[in-house]
Amino acid sequence: MIEASPFQYFVDPVLRAPTLGSMLMCLGASLVGVFVFLRRQSLLGESLSHAAYPGVILGVILSGLLSFGESEEVYIAIFIMGGAAITALLGLWCIYALERHLGVRSDSALCFILSVFFGVGLTLASQVQFSYSYLYRQAQVYLYGQAATMTDIHVIVYGVLAFIITGVVCLFYKEIQTITFNRDYAKSIGMNVRMMDAVFFVLIVIAVIIGIRSVGVVLMSAMLISPAVAARQYTNKLSLMFLLAGLFGLLSGYLGNYLSTETSLWFQRVYPSSRLALPTGPMIVLVASCICLLSLLLAPERGMLLRMCRIAHFRQRCMYENLLKAIWRLGPHQAVSFEQIAKHQSTSKFYLRFVLWRLKRNGWLQTNDQKFYQFTHEGEVWAAKIVRLHRLWEVYLVDYLGMGSEKVHVNAEEMEHIITPDLERELTLLLHDPQRDPHHQPIPPKAF
Amino acid sequence: MDIKYFNPYSNENFLGFFYQLGLRLYGFISGQIPLRELASDEIQLIVLMSLAGSAALVGAFLVLRKMTMLANSLSHTILLGIVAAYVMSSNGILEGDEHYHPINIQAMLWAALGVGILTVFLTEFLTKKARLQEDASTGIVFTSLFALGIVLVTLLTRNAHVGTEVVMGNVDALQLEDCKLILIIFGLNILLTGLFFKEYQITTFDPALANALGFSTLFYNYLLMVQVSATTVGAFRAVGVLMVLAFITGPVLTARLLTHRLGTLIFMAIGIGFFASLIGVALSRHILSVYGVPFSTGIVVCVIAGLFLLAIIWKKIERSRLFGKFQAKDLVSTS
Repeated sequence: MIEASPFQYFVDPVLRAPTLGSMLMCLGASLVGVFVFLRRQSLLGESLSHAAYPGVILGVILSGLLSFGESEEVYIAIFIMGGAAITALLGLWCIYALERHLGVRSDSALCFILSVFFGVGLTLASQVQFSYSYLYRQAQVYLYGQAATMTDIHVIVYGVLAFIITGVVCLFYKEIQTITFNRDYAKSIGMNVRMMDAVFFVLIVIAVIIGIRSVGVVLMSAMLISPAVAARQYTNKLSLMFLLAGLFGLLSGYLGNYLSTETSLWFQRVYPSSRLALPTGPMIVLVASCICLLSLLLAPERGMLLRMCRIAHFRQRCMYENLLKAIWRLGPHQAVSFEQIAKHQSTSKFYLRFVLWRLKRNGWLQTNDQKFYQFTHEGEVWAAKIVRLHRLWEVYLVDYLGMGSEKVHVNAEEMEHIITPDLERELTLLLHDPQRDPHHQPIPPKAF
Repeated sequence: MDIKYFNPYSNENFLGFFYQLGLRLYGFISGQIPLRELASDEIQLIVLMSLAGSAALVGAFLVLRKMTMLANSLSHTILLGIVAAYVMSSNGILEGDEHYHPINIQAMLWAALGVGILTVFLTEFLTKKARLQEDASTGIVFTSLFALGIVLVTLLTRNAHVGTEVVMGNVDALQLEDCKLILIIFGLNILLTGLFFKEYQITTFDPALANALGFSTLFYNYLLMVQVSATTVGAFRAVGVLMVLAFITGPVLTARLLTHRLGTLIFMAIGIGFFASLIGVALSRHILSVYGVPFSTGIVVCVIAGLFLLAIIWKKIERSRLFGKFQAKDLVSTS
């Protein structure tokens, strides 16, 4: 039982192979995932990874027939990968044939192929359990992934495959970019789109077959989707997206492997009898999902939480401005009671009191001794500005767009919160600084 | 008590299976054999057939609504529901898989309901609120929840094999309780589909019209997904949560090749599902007695796939025959 620091996972002879292996696999998968995501084919990975399972079992059966022992793991791994590649490609072809020649819709085709191939795989697996029980464990590993038993030779094989993926992405970067974003343009400048599609599918298959060793067939599709989705939150540039997705992939590979090893060790300490090893796949996927979720929530531009904050902030400002305007209408210089204000507002009284309190705190309103509300100087300036913008916009709509003066109020209610000072200046110039709005109300002068 | 474990089907081949089945059926109907003494093959048959029926009922609408990948995502997330149901029914940490846990049917159905709603809600939420592509949000939701489920199962049962069992199913471990659960679910599916057939039809084929007439498409989406998740819960012990997808899509796609009418489609799909289960169970018995190789229910999935291939071939032949006729006619008329 080894107590390892996070850094030791890279150098320790027992721990480094699983760590590096997981990271390489996740790197490959997340790079491929970027264009799978951008081509809106995220669920293709799900079908292909399940379709690879019968190949895994066939590989196991084949190595059983050639009577490899458990010690010749590398040959077994190669057979398994070969089988997985073949059935994954077969599955791909079946999906294509179903969609093209039989008019089956894409989702049904994906789902049908996924379940049938996986079912065949499981049937074969029950056969393996019966006849090559010593190899059955090998087959089971590919269901949820198990990085812990990887050796340096595995890492080299997976490293080469991951390197191929990275190389192809770098080499064909221009083509990928063009075909992903504008297929017709790519065709028109004479790119071989069909060939690139083939390359693209082969890349997915490679990513899947190297990925299933550490993540497992059931969860493989997560590694194609999550890093790409997370990366998309931060950038609009394809190159940066590839970099970020690769980074997220590496990170989740490392952390997932680290967590699963640590949890397994903890288990062995607490329940020594259970001899339990936590599968690596779920851990890697959980880490990737967490990264993805955090990015969805917190990314600076597109994050959900920040976007909601911005919306809430804007709504609050609108509320302030509407209230100030309402008080201004009741009479700019006289104090008004709460009931007078509440009469024309649709919000709850409780919220209204809160907003009024905030306005008072920020120094735009003041109360006199009868608890009547009155503008401060700043408050009056702001209210006048809003009224001015509202009425200016109404004038603009009537004079320049020819709208009937009875229709313009609703639109101006929205625009008054949006018009910038620049726009206000332009409007003033364009409309020759009007004094009255279409309803013959006075427009307050600028900078009251 | 020995009688109970005696299996009348042992050492029967393919045809012998049906002969024996006929004899047993006569026995059950005439009351010579009490229902308590169902042999394991018969339990398998009942479970698989009612599963195929349920799957065809929901599958028809799923395929037509292009929502099968949502069913796929549900079949993964149901693992969380199963974990929850086990925890609910055994209140506490589980003790491995060696002991047989009596299934708490109520807990299972509640779990199915909860998970069905949760999955659809999360997916919709990510699509609408986080502005993600629909396929990506589907993928993220089910993989995260499934990973969580696997980790929880491993932590709670301290046994990594339970997760495998859930995915693979184990037809030989079926008990009378499972029959009860799946029959209830089958009945529920018949009831709901029968009651809301018109509503399903209209929300499937013309959502805009349905909304205009005041039927909430969203509500029927949720209802359908709850039905799917109940079906998956019923299926997981028999065929595993993933192979149930073959039951959902396979017969419907096969029937889709042969008919264009919704009613015919559903009945045909149910028929194909029944037939495939029957053949599948008989085949696995045949293989066991003749070659001595035990196959799990994966065989049924292979039969479903085989029937689909047959339907394709039949359609091709039909088409070429029609084509030939037309050509001959054309020749006659032009000459």
